[in-house]
Amino acid sequence: MTFLKIKFVTDSVADLPQELVDKHDIGVVPTFVNYGGQSFADDGKELNRETFYDDLPSLPTHPTTAAPPPALAEEALQRAAESADHVIAIVTPAKLSTTYNSFRIGGSGLPSNRYTLIDSGQVSLGMGWQVIVGAEVAAQTGSVEATLDAIQRVQHNQALYCALLTMEFLRRGGRVSWAAAGIGALLQIKPILQVTNGDVLPAARVRTFSKAVDHMIELIRQQAPLDKLAIIHSNNLEGAQHVKDTIADILPVDTHIVRVGPTLGVHIGPGSLGFASVSTSWKA
Amino acid sequence: MIVELSRRVCDGFRLKFLYASGLAWLEHNRERVNQLNVYPVPDGDTGTNMTLTMRKAYAAISDWDDSHVGKVADAMARGALLGARGNSGVILSQILRGFANVLKDREVFDASTFAYACRAASEEAYRAVEKPVEGTILTVAKAAAEAAYRVAQEESDLQVVLEVTLATAKDALRRTPEQLDILRKAGVVDSGGQGLVYILEGMARMLQGEPVMLHETLLAQDVPTGDTHDGTWQDKLEPEDEDGYGYDVQFLMRGDNFDVAQVRRDFESMGWSTLVVGDPSLIKVHIHVHNPAHPIGYAIEAGAMLDDVVVENMQLQYEAQAAQRVKKDIDDAPVMVDGVAVVAVAAGDGMRKLMVRELGAAVVISGGQTMNPSAEDFLTAINNLPNDEVILLPNNKNIILAAEQAAKLAVGKTVRVVPTRTVPQGVAALMAYINANGSVSLDDLAGEMAASTHSVRTIEVTTSTRSITLDDVTAKEGEVIALLDGKLAGSGQSPEGVVEHVLTTLNASQAELITLYFGDAVREAQASRLGERLGELFPGPEIVVVRGGQPLYPYLISIE
Repeated sequence: MTFLKIKFVTDSVADLPQELVDKHDIGVVPTFVNYGGQSFADDGKELNRETFYDDLPSLPTHPTTAAPPPALAEEALQRAAESADHVIAIVTPAKLSTTYNSFRIGGSGLPSNRYTLIDSGQVSLGMGWQVIVGAEVAAQTGSVEATLDAIQRVQHNQALYCALLTMEFLRRGGRVSWAAAGIGALLQIKPILQVTNGDVLPAARVRTFSKAVDHMIELIRQQAPLDKLAIIHSNNLEGAQHVKDTIADILPVDTHIVRVGPTLGVHIGPGSLGFASVSTSWKA
Repeated sequence: MIVELSRRVCDGFRLKFLYASGLAWLEHNRERVNQLNVYPVPDGDTGTNMTLTMRKAYAAISDWDDSHVGKVADAMARGALLGARGNSGVILSQILRGFANVLKDREVFDASTFAYACRAASEEAYRAVEKPVEGTILTVAKAAAEAAYRVAQEESDLQVVLEVTLATAKDALRRTPEQLDILRKAGVVDSGGQGLVYILEGMARMLQGEPVMLHETLLAQDVPTGDTHDGTWQDKLEPEDEDGYGYDVQFLMRGDNFDVAQVRRDFESMGWSTLVVGDPSLIKVHIHVHNPAHPIGYAIEAGAMLDDVVVENMQLQYEAQAAQRVKKDIDDAPVMVDGVAVVAVAAGDGMRKLMVRELGAAVVISGGQTMNPSAEDFLTAINNLPNDEVILLPNNKNIILAAEQAAKLAVGKTVRVVPTRTVPQGVAALMAYINANGSVSLDDLAGEMAASTHSVRTIEVTTSTRSITLDDVTAKEGEVIALLDGKLAGSGQSPEGVVEHVLTTLNASQAELITLYFGDAVREAQASRLGERLGELFPGPEIVVVRGGQPLYPYLISIE
């Protein structure tokens, strides 16, 4: 079997830290945040990811988010294909965004035996970890088959949960039907969301944020032993650090604290805390 | 009451019993029907009107001893026409008229004749109305008649036919909000349709041997009133006509050789919600007009003798009703939930909305300290649910016993009681419920719900009904008092002051969450101010202010 050079492309919802992007030479196509009559690419340059959260609650109209146009996906895919035998794109779930469709159209110029498009069914590092594990396996094996198999096993052994400080932004965002119904507004219930197979589900509903965080820590422990862990937050570094300290005994080498990008941030609002894990069982 | 009934035929005696059962059950539920009333005029009298109409019909045969079913039916229909009150009453009288027309010459009826009679009843009802509107008693009557007709094709057991008819009527009733926008906005089912369902249900209950006759305990226990509903809903019911709702005019025209069709057309040009029914010698008129003199003048000029004239100012009725109506949507139409369903008790529209919309309760029975629901109320709620497993939350120590009785009496369902003693405990139990329902067994779910109540403390703020010294606290009659988990914990002049005092003694800064449910006598701004003040006094916990709308208790507070 020939050793194939495989490259990865994803979208900015994956929240991949720059060091990992550089290390694995991953192509990242930005999604967009629209507000105040302007459209900003979520590429770390056009939007300041930190000040965005400070501004978010007081914006006169709630921002909307948009998938990258097919041309941007095409450009990234073509660039990757120039220096690779095979391109794997792992993207935001079709149930939540049209990004998948942009990548389908954008990749139609590539020969089908050189391009694989995967619906991650995940967001943030839930998607990001699929890319990283895929890149690692591809670099080791040079086999598309082995790489796709590894990605699938990651999908079956990963978890993503997020405790929201308020339901308000999820409701305003309108993409999650049960949240749009306004449930939880009267009692200011704090939901813990689970993302699985592209669905955003209420995993638990509690009355205080500290209870939500306790519950989330319990959920992380249920995933141990861990191979990879990202503690994700929307401008709540202190909370993320607290979570990290609390579970010091089960932290894998690959542990990151990651600020969620504005595209997801529009929907979860500031202050939220979550995690994206991959259990070691994916290797079995 | 159990009556030996041959299941295949029904004679006049039996029809009379059936009829009495329908009336008794309607009478028992009269207030519920009143509170549903938003169409055509939200004046809250549908239940009363239908009951009065039924009573008059029954009075016409109450001392009869005739087994000829045709004569009995005819006499009742005549009685109903004489006694018909309101739109729904007149339509009801026509339902009885249509029914009686088919039975006219029969000693007894069987399933097949019953089916024809139901159809005729429904058709007659439609004819009574100038422009039939769907989503009303008419729709329910039609659906019931069609079901009777279908099932009677192959079923000769009258009890079975009646049960299918009832089930279909209930189903049609549930769908009325989809057909009539005003019902959807108000979140209620049609009141007249509900009245008809209660009549059929009363008949079915008697056949099944269930209680329908008015024994004292049932009668004494009227549906609670006194809650207020929120303004947005009320606004939707304001009259579209800028002159208001006008007058409701009803009378009987006696005479001979009336041209009923012509008379009907003349009245229809005069007002709205017009119902004109009868025969050349007796016409019942029901009409809504701005000037009552018009229809009455017309009748006199037509040579009629007027009888039983009733003129009501609907605008005043509407205003009185609007001031005190209970929003009944949550009570009357159970919310469909998967898995285990919860029946909770609470007073106040805010509290009920919270429990149903936010916390997944299927039914909230109105009640609390001053109005304890009975085991019967719980049973009714349980039986109205499609779920096989039900959990009851009494939310008051005086209601736990009734809930436990209901749990024992429930047939064909597994029912558990989580003995919550306060509304905040009930809220905590419901939080546990929404997280665990569907993933654990009934007993584990009940266990988790019960466990969740242990971390909640409750302060109930109300007014002392007498001077009292208890648990080292003294309160004079009329003073504000606070109960901490049922024990007197503070007293004073203002609810806010008492709340501050009790929370201070509790060392509330250490708490995680304080929820303030404010009652119907407290304005939102007042409650928000108290919330802010508590935030300053006790910097630790999160403070949530929620409108409970409960009567008699300015504040219910949970500390977690």
